[in-house]
Amino acid sequence: MKATLAPSSLTFTSLPYSSSFHSSSSSLLFRCPSSSASMTTTTRGNVAVAAAATSTEALRKGIAEFYNETSGLWEEIWGDHMHHGFYDPDSSVQLSDSGHREAQIRMIEESLRFSGVTTDEEEEKKIKKIVDVGCGIGGSSRYLASKFGAESIGITLSPVQAKRANDLAAAQSLAHKVSFQVADALEQPFEDGKFDLVWSMESGEHMPDKAKFVNELVRVVAPGGRIIIVTWCHRNLSEGEKALQPWEQNLLDRICKTFYLPAWCSTDDYVHLLQSHSLQDIKCADWSENVAPFWPAVIRTALTWKGLVSLLRSGMKSIKGALTMPLMIEGYKKGVIKFGIITCRKPL
Amino acid sequence: MRLITHNMLSCNIKGVTNGFPLRIEAGNVIEKEVDFNPDFIRHMFAKLEWKALVEGARSMGYAELPEDSPDAAVLESDESFLKKLHHALLELHLEEGALVCPKTGRKFPVNKGIPNMLLHEDEV
Repeated sequence: MKATLAPSSLTFTSLPYSSSFHSSSSSLLFRCPSSSASMTTTTRGNVAVAAAATSTEALRKGIAEFYNETSGLWEEIWGDHMHHGFYDPDSSVQLSDSGHREAQIRMIEESLRFSGVTTDEEEEKKIKKIVDVGCGIGGSSRYLASKFGAESIGITLSPVQAKRANDLAAAQSLAHKVSFQVADALEQPFEDGKFDLVWSMESGEHMPDKAKFVNELVRVVAPGGRIIIVTWCHRNLSEGEKALQPWEQNLLDRICKTFYLPAWCSTDDYVHLLQSHSLQDIKCADWSENVAPFWPAVIRTALTWKGLVSLLRSGMKSIKGALTMPLMIEGYKKGVIKFGIITCRKPL
Repeated sequence: MRLITHNMLSCNIKGVTNGFPLRIEAGNVIEKEVDFNPDFIRHMFAKLEWKALVEGARSMGYAELPEDSPDAAVLESDESFLKKLHHALLELHLEEGALVCPKTGRKFPVNKGIPNMLLHEDEV
């Protein structure tokens, strides 16, 4: 059963979890955008696997270095939440800085609400341990730990981010509730079923193996616990469509290079992956309209005097990243890029 | 890294089924005071792996915790116990050292208080 999402409104569809899992393998496995080696034929199986492994190492290193370099800059201008704000659709009002920051908080609250976590106090009380997968400098962790009086552990590939996250926690007297480690979301250093809430806010797009990523999220969530994935996706493919159009793929490839992203997948792909596990209440939504003001706002801040100076000081990765931002806007406008939320619950 | 975090970390090397708890090799341990919040400590107690906490604390130079996990009743009546638990969980920081996999002996370095749990290519 295919979910079709009406792009012009905030909708969600509750999907049955009995559909068979279809793997569009070329979009789910890592594909280095600048490499010409084909990954889909397996006669050179071992070579392909080895190449993938080295590429994964290179991607991991690239992500770590990208965030080592750019986190400070982001924090200076936007604060400690490294994710999109949530806005009312068609809000054309020019927001102030504080308006955008409020929108970023709203993104967290809307995500919690969508997943059913904040439906009632009893549900909220159950949250004692949270894992923040791809935690950035810990904005979500600190917010969620405060909100629920829970313990939150964050993981990131960037040692610079982990350090900054810990320092901010100490400065906010939250050091007893949150901690941050350098670890890989695809190999999480936790035993099974430890977390009441598994939180992935805009980190999924960095994961080279979406199936493995989802496996890990499902492994570490506790029975009765919830998984919340908020991530950049490409549009869902239509019935019979095997892949994106070449021009669409081209657009995404250009973004992949500077943001250290592996191949994109769609919201449908995430839903199918979750359906292949025994999970309940799988829901998804397209929030592209609710994040529309974000990239224009980021570009505006980059073009201020402070923004330009900071960019130049930061380095090439930051500058290239900034130059890529209009491509994000183009992607959203042309319906190639979608901002998706996918949530579910592990049965007791 | 504090023991409240250590209590959650395990080794995920391929083939290792019981990678918890990680042994602590303490290089540099410092103490940082944290405000005592008895309710928070009580809240956390239920989900603690007690043996791992006691061994970890000992490795960091603190041997005041009882060997066996006390009854929940102790949490209500004994404030000095709560304070010891608070101290062990939150006030001892491993700044430099390593976390060691109990099965393979693999060392995960801890630098500036941050554990690096990344696996090498041949470990996944």
